[in-house]
Amino acid sequence: MTVDLNKLHAVGAIAEEAEGKWGMVIDQDLCTGCQACVAACAMENNIAFVGEEDAGYGRSMHWIRTERFWEGEYPEVRMTDYQPMLCQQCGKAPCEPVCPAFATVHSQAEKINLQVYNRCVGTRYCANNCPYQVRSFNWRDYQDSRIRPEITILANQFNPDVTVRRRGVMEKCTFCIQRIHKAQDKAKSEGREVEDGEFTTACAQACPASAITFGRIDHPESLVSQLARMPHTQHHLEELGTLPSVTYLKGA
Amino acid sequence: MSEKISRRDFLKLASVGAATTAVLTGCGPASRYVTREPYTKMPEYTYNGLSTYYATTCRECAAACGLIVRTMQGRAIKVEGNKGNPVNLGKTCARGQATLHGLYNPDRVENPVQQGRAKNFATEAMTWDAAVQVVADAFKNNDPSEIGFLLGMAPDHLFDLVSDLAKSVGAPAPVRFGVLSMFESRATLSKAAENLLGQSGMPFFDVGGSDIVLSFGANFLETWLSPVAYTRGFAKLRRGDPKHRGYFIQFESRMSLTASRADEWIPILPGTEGLVALAIGRLVAEAKGGAVPRAFASVDPAAVATQAGVSLEKLEHAATLILDAQHPLAIPGGAALGQSNGLFTAEAVLAFNALLDNFNQTGGVYLSPLAPNQDEYHRPASAQEMTDFIEKMKSGAVKVLFVHGVNPVFELPKSLGFAEALASVPQVISFATFPDETALASDYIFPDHHGLESWGYQRVVTGTTQSTLSGAQPVVSPYFNTRATADVLIAAAQSAGGKFAEALPFADEVDFIQSKLAGLVGQEGSFLAPEINTFAAYFQQHGGWWKKDAETQVITASNALSKSLKVAPAEFAGEGEFYFLPFVSPTLAEAGANKPWLQELADPTTTVMWNTWVEINPETAHELHLENDDVVKIISEAGEVEAPVYVYPAIRPDTIAMPFGQGHTAYGRYAQGRGANPADVLGQHFNEAGDLAFAGMRVKVEKTGVKKILSRLESRIGVYGEGMGEEH
Repeated sequence: MTVDLNKLHAVGAIAEEAEGKWGMVIDQDLCTGCQACVAACAMENNIAFVGEEDAGYGRSMHWIRTERFWEGEYPEVRMTDYQPMLCQQCGKAPCEPVCPAFATVHSQAEKINLQVYNRCVGTRYCANNCPYQVRSFNWRDYQDSRIRPEITILANQFNPDVTVRRRGVMEKCTFCIQRIHKAQDKAKSEGREVEDGEFTTACAQACPASAITFGRIDHPESLVSQLARMPHTQHHLEELGTLPSVTYLKGA
Repeated sequence: MSEKISRRDFLKLASVGAATTAVLTGCGPASRYVTREPYTKMPEYTYNGLSTYYATTCRECAAACGLIVRTMQGRAIKVEGNKGNPVNLGKTCARGQATLHGLYNPDRVENPVQQGRAKNFATEAMTWDAAVQVVADAFKNNDPSEIGFLLGMAPDHLFDLVSDLAKSVGAPAPVRFGVLSMFESRATLSKAAENLLGQSGMPFFDVGGSDIVLSFGANFLETWLSPVAYTRGFAKLRRGDPKHRGYFIQFESRMSLTASRADEWIPILPGTEGLVALAIGRLVAEAKGGAVPRAFASVDPAAVATQAGVSLEKLEHAATLILDAQHPLAIPGGAALGQSNGLFTAEAVLAFNALLDNFNQTGGVYLSPLAPNQDEYHRPASAQEMTDFIEKMKSGAVKVLFVHGVNPVFELPKSLGFAEALASVPQVISFATFPDETALASDYIFPDHHGLESWGYQRVVTGTTQSTLSGAQPVVSPYFNTRATADVLIAAAQSAGGKFAEALPFADEVDFIQSKLAGLVGQEGSFLAPEINTFAAYFQQHGGWWKKDAETQVITASNALSKSLKVAPAEFAGEGEFYFLPFVSPTLAEAGANKPWLQELADPTTTVMWNTWVEINPETAHELHLENDDVVKIISEAGEVEAPVYVYPAIRPDTIAMPFGQGHTAYGRYAQGRGANPADVLGQHFNEAGDLAFAGMRVKVEKTGVKKILSRLESRIGVYGEGMGEEH
């Protein structure tokens, strides 16, 4: 199917073939900053917790975080809308060309940025070049039970569909690619296409305010495409030409 | 119940029918009636590469959200929301997600132990036979009137079992307490409903159906009553009507997470919330014309504005917005009710709703329906009632105390003296899953399963207009040598014989639960089952049973407006230049501190992780020569506590705030020795409904000269000039 994505305002797609592209819309007017998405993401993707000291050094591994900024001074102080920030799965990703090991590459099938853990040698060039600051680096073996014995019990919860990362490896949001593949495999075995809303990412699934929507942005009728055509949309730092796949909706 | 059908037999029978796959997902792996099968016929939960999903109920708070837990080869992998459950409709909060870190926590109580009130956790295991014998002896050797039961807010089936037992043998009814209900001031809310509407019950505020919400301190997007349901309501307020975005004003002395989502945050003086509600009410009533109702007649908006520290224009603006709205709504809650005049505040806000003709209306106030197997609304004990219970313990009237699902040594203010009272009880038996402070102060710990390993049910108190009973089943087999408390009590009662055995004539916990579900067989609801075994199977599969249609208790509020309200100024205990505002941490709540990923979540408003902080206005901090991370001592009449400063731009200069949830002296490696507990400085002051006046304290702040760097997710660069060089 050929769709002119420029007409759909699915801006992130114009640098590449549209077919198969996944995207996300986040409604900042609904986000309450409650952190359910962060916890859900950590549980789904076997993300390590780093502890108080390393967290203080900025080594925490959140693949998604809620940012907030202050405007004005008391009593006329205002907090901006919470801004869930995750890998924007850029159409032209600044992280990709700087990787000497081809560990961060662009996927042909899903049109997202992949992180190949067993290629990564830990130069951290990609994190340095990411304008959204959404890549996190494994500074230690946080999930190795020889170093942290308590992991032996906690590891029972690990999702077998997701690799457990070792020290020296960069990681980031994958748009829950394991869920995408599972849904595609299921649909293929039943001889059909994946339906819109049949599955979603862990963050969108948990969000109590339903602020996050995930789906195919090459299908004009999908919910995520319809939302991306609403007024008040915004793409963060799009002036850098990153062509992000995540669209933000602002309050009225 | 004489003929038991085995789980396998049931599945075989069910497989003949059309609903096979649906029924398969409904039965727990640890189902009691398993027969032996050859290895070639493996149970469904052990197939390689396939996930099985079980419906159950979240136990992280008492809201009774339904969960679907993804398991793989007998391990729980991921928590998802149950789309059928009317409370959460498939959504979860962060605490629900992290419940798996409780299940697979390295610091669980792994065996029954004789703790002997030792400071350190005893690890030498007892046998369960010996444990049951200890409980049976406690039943036999004490007069029933000297047995005490102290239970948490969840689960309800255990509360029912203990209530039945206590009633049959002549023991005092179980005391139920949860610190969230203390900070929610539940007693105040239901007392206000009773005084004003003549009906007790839990009011439900239909935020989703409203188009302007005035919240007087209610932190309904955080931990208040049913956070997932209220968050859904908030989303509907904003986007429910595509043509009209709902407006939201919060009156609160500190910008909480809830206030941060408001269109207007109005920092009024603590304790003036009720007056402000009456003042806006009067402005609305005057603009509408006709006689001003009695409840609002005596209030002078201009004087109230001065008293609350807000401009009259802001109140007039709020009144104008209300007059233009279709479904305006006012919500009382949080710290506004935790004042000496909290009951007046709750009544004033309910009267305001009466003025807006809001009862039984879309976007208004309902009394939540009772759950399907509930006869009347049981509210948990207020802090005043806990004080009475503490006095009773001290007087020696309690010879043996059983504690389950609650940690009062940590949760209650130290000044109430629970720990000392506990020491005067001759025998204390804890059923704690984790080695918390109360469990360590017990003679024995007979650990209950984790919620995800347990049978049970939980009644939905509020959050939906459908009458709902949320069901729980084990999603995995017990990981440690734990035993269901209901089973221990049943076995002990039967061993004790006499009245005790007669009180609990059940084979086990499941048998008891089914006896409580029997009344629902044949009733129309989320499913219809002709007899109890089918009902129980569907109950597991669906994760509970609920009525199909909305069903609220009708409020007759005809004389709510004619009552004149007793306008009471807030009184503040102690001396000091600051009002002290403790609030429940939105991410940790009361029992999240032992779950490492909850600790690693950034607090939504400050982005602090893994610790406690004190929020101080930037100008105040400047005057006191305080900077970020300076450890200060907070001194009240009841005690003192130390924590580092977080210079918070959105708090009144005369108020300091501190989150509740950390400061454990036990409770496992992730919680112990981390942060501070604001309950240590709270005094014994109550409002007229018996709730703790936790926000009615004055405190002094002293600089200690020590620095403790808080771990924050946000960058510090540029914040108040930090890291910008000397010239800034």
